[in-house]
Amino acid sequence: MSNDAAARAHSGAVAPGTGERTFWGRLTSWPLYQILMAFLTASPRRQFLILAAFPLIWVLTQHLGPMLQMLRVSLTDAYPVAPGVEQHFTLDNYMRFFGDPIFWQPFFRTLTFAGVFTFCTLILTYPVAYFLARHVSRKNQMLYLLLLLIPFWVGEIVRTYAIMILLGNTGAVNMMLKWLGLIEKPIPFMYTSFSMGVGIVYLTALYMLLPLYSALEKLSKSFNEAAADLGAGAWTRFRRVTLPLTIEGISSGCTLVFLISTGFYATPVLLGGPSTTVFAETIAGFFHVAGDQWPTGAAFATIMFLTALILTSVFQKLMNALRKGDSK
Amino acid sequence: MTKLIFNRRRFLGTAAMTGAALASPAYLRRANAAGGEVNIWTYNDFVPEAFKEQFEADTGIKVNIRLVDDQGKQFNLLAAEAPNPSVDIMTVAGHRFLQFIESDLLAPLDTDRLSNWGKINPTFSESDWSTINDNKWGMPILSGMEVLSYNTELVSAEEAQSWDTLFSEQYKGQTAYVIQDMISIIMLKMGYDGNMVAYLDDPEKAAAIVEEAKQFLIEKKPLVRKYYDGGAELQQMFVNQDIAMAQSWNGPAAALITDGFPLAMTIPKEGSYGFVYTFNIANNAPNADNAYTFMDAILASPEIGAAMTKASGFISTYKDASNYLNDVDKKATSFSDEELANLQFFRAEANEMKYGLVDPAVEAIKAA
Repeated sequence: MSNDAAARAHSGAVAPGTGERTFWGRLTSWPLYQILMAFLTASPRRQFLILAAFPLIWVLTQHLGPMLQMLRVSLTDAYPVAPGVEQHFTLDNYMRFFGDPIFWQPFFRTLTFAGVFTFCTLILTYPVAYFLARHVSRKNQMLYLLLLLIPFWVGEIVRTYAIMILLGNTGAVNMMLKWLGLIEKPIPFMYTSFSMGVGIVYLTALYMLLPLYSALEKLSKSFNEAAADLGAGAWTRFRRVTLPLTIEGISSGCTLVFLISTGFYATPVLLGGPSTTVFAETIAGFFHVAGDQWPTGAAFATIMFLTALILTSVFQKLMNALRKGDSK
Repeated sequence: MTKLIFNRRRFLGTAAMTGAALASPAYLRRANAAGGEVNIWTYNDFVPEAFKEQFEADTGIKVNIRLVDDQGKQFNLLAAEAPNPSVDIMTVAGHRFLQFIESDLLAPLDTDRLSNWGKINPTFSESDWSTINDNKWGMPILSGMEVLSYNTELVSAEEAQSWDTLFSEQYKGQTAYVIQDMISIIMLKMGYDGNMVAYLDDPEKAAAIVEEAKQFLIEKKPLVRKYYDGGAELQQMFVNQDIAMAQSWNGPAAALITDGFPLAMTIPKEGSYGFVYTFNIANNAPNADNAYTFMDAILASPEIGAAMTKASGFISTYKDASNYLNDVDKKATSFSDEELANLQFFRAEANEMKYGLVDPAVEAIKAA
């Protein structure tokens, strides 16, 4: 075997033992391929573009594309366009929101619910994340995290029905309270803001837990030990050391949970009642109603999307300012 | 419980359909081995599973069913796909025909291609709502009505004779209804035409009536436990004893009754509305020939109509279908003459004006 043949066999261009050239061998020795590769990999910028092309196409077509389409629909007066109907661009769908107070109540109710539920989720999951990151041995942490992930193996609807089974008039909670002799008639938990809150906190808990766990897990124990050596009590150590140093996790978790909470639809429909109508239900109403209501639904969805983005940006800025203030 | 309901109904439906398929395979032989597929949008349990399997085996036509739960959603889906829809057969309620026809979404039905057309009760196949622009647009399969359904262990039959009970303090937090349907019923209860046909020339009066109904429902909002949308949701609430009574369609309520749940339904003295579900062929349906084959096959025998009633709880439009129902099924799907006298059918003539007023009212009630 010549040196050249040995090199080709070594690089996989020739199949070992047979002496035949492989597909890759044929491809890499194809002049057109060599010219193309030389062109594409001529600079680091081009190499980056090749690597980024697929993810970029994915993000543009699967994420940004539908949102741009929603924006486009929100600026039209008819969609889907019936045969013989001419479509025009208009801002009327946005004006409908600002001109009719009927829609403000579910809008502000949604933002209030999302804020309150985000805070509840933070309060409930912080101790869990703290326990997991600071008191569970490193080798068991993955096991505990997997156990916490189990409910997330099933979909949102199934987990929502699980809450219904728990909180219904004949559900586990009422049966337990009856069995304990604490109540005679079932407490109507279902179809209230309470049942909806329980459902949303349950469904979003993991999105809060993981950033908190990540922030707490990175926190060196020596900071707390140094604070203790300087005479700080447990509460002071938490308030002056742990909390400020995990503010990034709190910020990420709250942003995720708040954004998700503003868009929940199925859970409020299934667990909520007459006085808990959220904006997602109002938006869905425009898509269910037969007629040219999709543009209004799209405009309302855009309004909620932009509002949620603005609020989370303000929240992030506040948290950043807080963090910088603490670090001074 | 839901699973039990489903299994029992499926068992009954399967048993009935197996018998039907064995007894009358002739219609399927006539259909010959056409092959291909037929795409159907319909409600849960409207096409009995045993019939579907038998039809597929005998004709080679694959039946693809996409479940729908709302006429509006179905309209929007179809409008989005027009003029080249993916669907062949849809399930449109008779009073929604006009909207589909005006948007050019339905093809006129060629009843000459349905050799079994005569097997439909003429009350449904030849009534005034079924002919528009001198054409038939749908094949009636099941009929339903808005009823007051109630848990018989909690509500007496006397109390259930009036819609007022649904809004009484006594049952605060134990009631549920579909707001859009309830507005029509409230208008009727107040002595107005809930179809709004009478006010076609007087839109101001129509608006005032809807406003009155809206204010009534806002005032009574503290009494209701849940505004719901689908039959399964209603069944869930009754089974969990979250509610004692509800405005509902007769189908989901009948399914609970046949399952042995202590439920009854009535058409209250103030009146109510009925509707007919029809199978319709989409304009430019990709498999129109197969659609006609399917529709003719499902019309073939009253046993199939009875199986559809058993599975869905709605009343069959087929002649003699009731002969194949047992006593429990009959009890769950029949009403006294006195009750039926209070019933009128939904009409489509004023739909544009009506829903232009009702839809914002629904949003206002939800938001209040």
